[in-house]
Amino acid sequence: MDINEFIDKFAEIFDDTDRNEFQANTKFKELDEWSSIMALNVIAMVDDEYDVLLKGDDIRGTETISQLFDIVKSRK
Amino acid sequence: MAFFKVDNVAVKGIAACVSKNTEENLSLPFYSSLEEAQKMISATGIERRHITPKNLTASDLGFKATEKLLDSLGWEKSSVDLLAVCTQNPDYINHPDSFVIHDKLALGENTMCLDFFHGCPGWVTSLSSVCSMIQGGMIKRAILISGDTVTRDNDPSNKETRPLFGEAVTATALEFQENAPKMFFTSGTLSSEGKALILKNGGYKNPYNFETLKYDLDRKAGKLSAADVDDKMDSMDVFSFAISKVPKAVKKLCAEFAVNIENIDFFTFHQANKLILENIAKRLKISIDKVPMSLKNYGNTTSASIPLTLVSECGKILSNSHKRHIVCGFGTGLSWGAAYFETENIVCPDVVEI
Repeated sequence: MDINEFIDKFAEIFDDTDRNEFQANTKFKELDEWSSIMALNVIAMVDDEYDVLLKGDDIRGTETISQLFDIVKSRK
Repeated sequence: MAFFKVDNVAVKGIAACVSKNTEENLSLPFYSSLEEAQKMISATGIERRHITPKNLTASDLGFKATEKLLDSLGWEKSSVDLLAVCTQNPDYINHPDSFVIHDKLALGENTMCLDFFHGCPGWVTSLSSVCSMIQGGMIKRAILISGDTVTRDNDPSNKETRPLFGEAVTATALEFQENAPKMFFTSGTLSSEGKALILKNGGYKNPYNFETLKYDLDRKAGKLSAADVDDKMDSMDVFSFAISKVPKAVKKLCAEFAVNIENIDFFTFHQANKLILENIAKRLKISIDKVPMSLKNYGNTTSASIPLTLVSECGKILSNSHKRHIVCGFGTGLSWGAAYFETENIVCPDVVEI
């Protein structure tokens, strides 16, 4: 699993946020476009692309994209 | 996995009742901008919801839906052998709602009353039980009522739940009919995840006392901050559950009973929200055109959502054609129930508004 690919896929979910704003250490919940709906889109993307089913606690317990990536990677 | 098939039972009609009173999502008080409200509406598909005024209960809506259905079918009250009710919002704690509705309908003493206590998957799971009872041929006619006045338990300041939930109660007419097309069912349970949809107080585990009552009254008045409410819906857990379990349940149902998914006319899922339904459709590789949605005008109507959608979105078509259906209810439990059945020229009166 490649983190850059994960960041790309993560960024694709967002419509109004510039791609450059997405880095491994980006605190995704601080993005203006972040919302409860975006959280669901992230869960769907991870299931689609990585066949890993995230739970609410996974999203609540992480701050950065790389922390989320680590969870997904650990469950592959 | 629990699978079963039912012979000799036909769905004869479906009716639904809602209050005239609606709440528009565009004008909910907690959105900071019109754009924020529009984004939520666009993702959930929900523009408005019907909210029952406090002087009416689920039994009133269920009564009206059943009255309309019996009238449209031309069924004599005395011909109803079984009245089944699925609700989480009965009039009384210790008196099953089927008795309340039986009384309102003035049904006779030869009608059996039966209650199911279930949320969003409730219509499918009660349907499976009621149809199983009918197939023996002793019970000829049954009415299954399902629905809630769910918003009364919800926190009006909760931005995740208030825009979703609406209220409706439906009535489904079922009849013993020799050689009716077979019905297939499956149901599953993930009770370890049930906390994602539990209200903790008011039962016998945490009965109401001064403290728990104050908590619930404050919560229902929107006076508690989100951090202080630990029994709110975990929408992420429910989403994750739905997009994984529902497609699998449908696929397993089709595989077990050799149902060709290509031949299905309507896939009517519990109307949780548009994002969930789109994800389920995508995972099943089915056209979204075959997935009717009543979300726009009704929202998530718990155990009424599937029959309500069949009436409001497909009623005209179902009243003059033969259709093959797959339905799947999911949520409360957590659990799910999927079914295959066919309908032919069923009675579907317009949604009753009171």
